[in-house]
Amino acid sequence: MKYMLLLYDNPDTRDLFTSEEGKELMAQVETIMAELSESGEMIGGEALAEPPATRTVGLDGVVTDGPLAEAKEYFGGYLMVDVELFERAVEIAQRWPSKPIEVRPLMAGGGTEM
Amino acid sequence: MSTTSDTERLLRELAPPALGALVRRHRDFEACEDALQEALLAAVAQWPRDGVPDHPHGWLVAVASRRLVDASRSDSARRRREEAVALEPEAEPGAVAAGDDTLTLMLLCCHPALTPASQIALTLRAVGGLTTEQIAAAFLVPEATMAQRISRAKATIRADGIRFALPPPQERDRRLAAVLHVLYLIFNEGYTAQRGDLADEAIRLARLLHRLLPAEDEVSGLLALMLLTNARRDARATADGALVALAEQDRGRWDHAAIAEGVALVGAALPRGPVGPYQLQAAIAAVHCEAPTAEATDWPQVLGLYTLLERVAPGPMVTLNRAVAVGMVHGPSAGLDVLDELDASGALDGHHRLDAVRAHLLELAGDSAAAGAAYERAAARTTSRSEQRYLRDRLSRLRAQAAAPPSPPGA
Repeated sequence: MKYMLLLYDNPDTRDLFTSEEGKELMAQVETIMAELSESGEMIGGEALAEPPATRTVGLDGVVTDGPLAEAKEYFGGYLMVDVELFERAVEIAQRWPSKPIEVRPLMAGGGTEM
Repeated sequence: MSTTSDTERLLRELAPPALGALVRRHRDFEACEDALQEALLAAVAQWPRDGVPDHPHGWLVAVASRRLVDASRSDSARRRREEAVALEPEAEPGAVAAGDDTLTLMLLCCHPALTPASQIALTLRAVGGLTTEQIAAAFLVPEATMAQRISRAKATIRADGIRFALPPPQERDRRLAAVLHVLYLIFNEGYTAQRGDLADEAIRLARLLHRLLPAEDEVSGLLALMLLTNARRDARATADGALVALAEQDRGRWDHAAIAEGVALVGAALPRGPVGPYQLQAAIAAVHCEAPTAEATDWPQVLGLYTLLERVAPGPMVTLNRAVAVGMVHGPSAGLDVLDELDASGALDGHHRLDAVRAHLLELAGDSAAAGAAYERAAARTTSRSEQRYLRDRLSRLRAQAAAPPSPPGA
């Protein structure tokens, strides 16, 4: 079953990751990614650019600079994994050095016999 | 998966016995599998051009063996020359020897040290003869991910010192159960995701296992279950992928030859001895498949079989299905009572299927408001796009009926 880990950032986490102490956190991230690749659970993942580099197309079709909502927290990246159980996807999220993280199953194409 | 040429089809049948022969000779499963892959690539390139060799099994084993021996040497030119030279003939295996090797291989690929995902990948690769790319496409993961799973599976086998031999008798039944489970998972993925080729592959492997173990009733049961389920493939979804409930399927579109075969298989297996879960599930599928119309379904028999299945292999999903059967035989309220018991046990907390079945029974009982709420909860929780669409569809139908004026009596 595939799950997406939606990684949320805030200005503090971004600063932290790019600081001196951040090197330790980046190393943790790299370790986790390597383990997930090794185990065959990793499907993919990307970091996203920050709000100032974002544009949003609104409900009315109008394009504005910036993210959807002016909130402290913004969607910063994702990890996609293929694992047996929801619990395993959550466990991976718990190990990730920054939080919060939403863990969402992907919708699958098929369905069981009704 | 792309359509295979005759050569590729032939090679997929030759691969498992060849791998068996190699591993018996050279021991190192991982290296043998890699070497065989290279030999298969060479065969795909050469046989269509030069014709299939007189001793195709011997050819594959010899070419792969050379690869193994030369593995440490890097002179690719010399390797190519050696291949062109007449190869040491190896006797073609008798049917029995090839069969034993294939069975050993199937049991090996489902070793308990491997995760189910790895068991599936390794089985499709080593026994099914599919390429990594084909397996990755089947499960919608990147090729690199699937390659890693297969490679890790092979490394686990090597690391655990797992030998190429049939497991000891006391372990054999458990291992066979693991193989059946893996084949079932492959079939289920293919069937529910409407990937007919993957479902067909699972059936092909189940047939292979059935040929090797004709006296194993659970193997017959699984093959029957697959055939009977697959027979409904064309009727279970509309052209644009919307699910059609069993009761509403056009039975004229069912594959009646497959149904006949499945019915015969389970009919022969059932009376023979203690019944296992696959035989029982096949028997249930047979009752559905033999009914000319939904209304003609022998629900009391279905209920009896689910009751038996619950004793043999209890589980919340079985109970859920029994609740549906209870509803059909004793009325929706009785079915809902079974669901209440399930609720109390907490086994299916928050699971969308519990709400889906509840909605169905409530609808039959005429409680539209509660049914609607249950359909909505189920639709929000399911992770299947087609199920979600089906459930939302039933919800709108329900709402439309509630809004329409009541039909005159007798309509």
